[in-house]
Amino acid sequence: MDGDNSTTDASQLGITGEYMAGSYVLQSQEGEFFYDGEESLNDHEDGNGSKDNLREQDIYLPIANVARIMKNAVPQTGKIAKDAKECVQECVSEFISFITSEASERCHQEKRKTINGEDILFAMSTLGFDMYVEPLKLYLQKFREAMKGEKGITPGPIAEGIGEEITDDSFTNQLPAGLITADGQAQNVMVYTTSYQQIPGVQQIQFS
Amino acid sequence: MSSNKVEENVSATQALSGRSTSLPMSRVKLIMKSSPDVSHINQDALFLTTKATELFVQHLAQYSFRKGCGKERNALGYSDLAKAAEEAEPFHFLTDILPKKILARDYLRSLEERTEDSD
Repeated sequence: MDGDNSTTDASQLGITGEYMAGSYVLQSQEGEFFYDGEESLNDHEDGNGSKDNLREQDIYLPIANVARIMKNAVPQTGKIAKDAKECVQECVSEFISFITSEASERCHQEKRKTINGEDILFAMSTLGFDMYVEPLKLYLQKFREAMKGEKGITPGPIAEGIGEEITDDSFTNQLPAGLITADGQAQNVMVYTTSYQQIPGVQQIQFS
Repeated sequence: MSSNKVEENVSATQALSGRSTSLPMSRVKLIMKSSPDVSHINQDALFLTTKATELFVQHLAQYSFRKGCGKERNALGYSDLAKAAEEAEPFHFLTDILPKKILARDYLRSLEERTEDSD
């Protein structure tokens, strides 16, 4: 192996130090880490532009959220190893990028600047995730209904060029909703929008 | 308070759940924007991508667990995921980031054997 290219610097490899210390990754006598297959992890040169410093594979979704979804997907008695959670975290970023570039390509081909819902659904279908499309359409329906109620705007095809960008204000994480029950007792109900919720009418999807 | 008010609050809560997600949309947006040539993403697209990602996590975890775990092994591990990437077509795009891990000494040994063969 070419000693110049390999690195033990975990941050350069884009994975956490804890992950590197997991039982599956072993060191040679020289203290270098090996993976089967090509060393694609070390190809990246640190660029000067701000975008280069933050590679797409460095941005992950919070592991707690990812782990929770995994936990709900396996039998209750099942366990999930820590390295599996971290791994899925990386896979998720890969998935998002995968879908986005496909959708973006289609957008460009049609000379549009804004990626819309149709582009995403089309990308799903093209890339072998056809089974997600119908449930996603249902979720989108609920989403539009919810947005309509909130903002008082009629949902419809969003015109190209307007390209409504979502601000973080639109989606808060916790919403206290005060409920006054029939007997006059005030109750505070925390609506956790980050908690896993079953949408009524949309069945839990079973993937074989 | 009137029951109408209660109904209003309850339906407001339900309406909010229609747009809630288990994964933070702001972070999903960050990842999407790190793709080259992506400028604008509309609201529907971001929501759909986030929901799709949730489905993906479920799908990957469920599939890998079913294939890899049974009575003897009840814990989902890295190797189950690597196997799923190899076996299931929708997950093929993950094979680059889920290489099968081997012991360093086995790798070195196989390297030596390859060099010997070429002599």
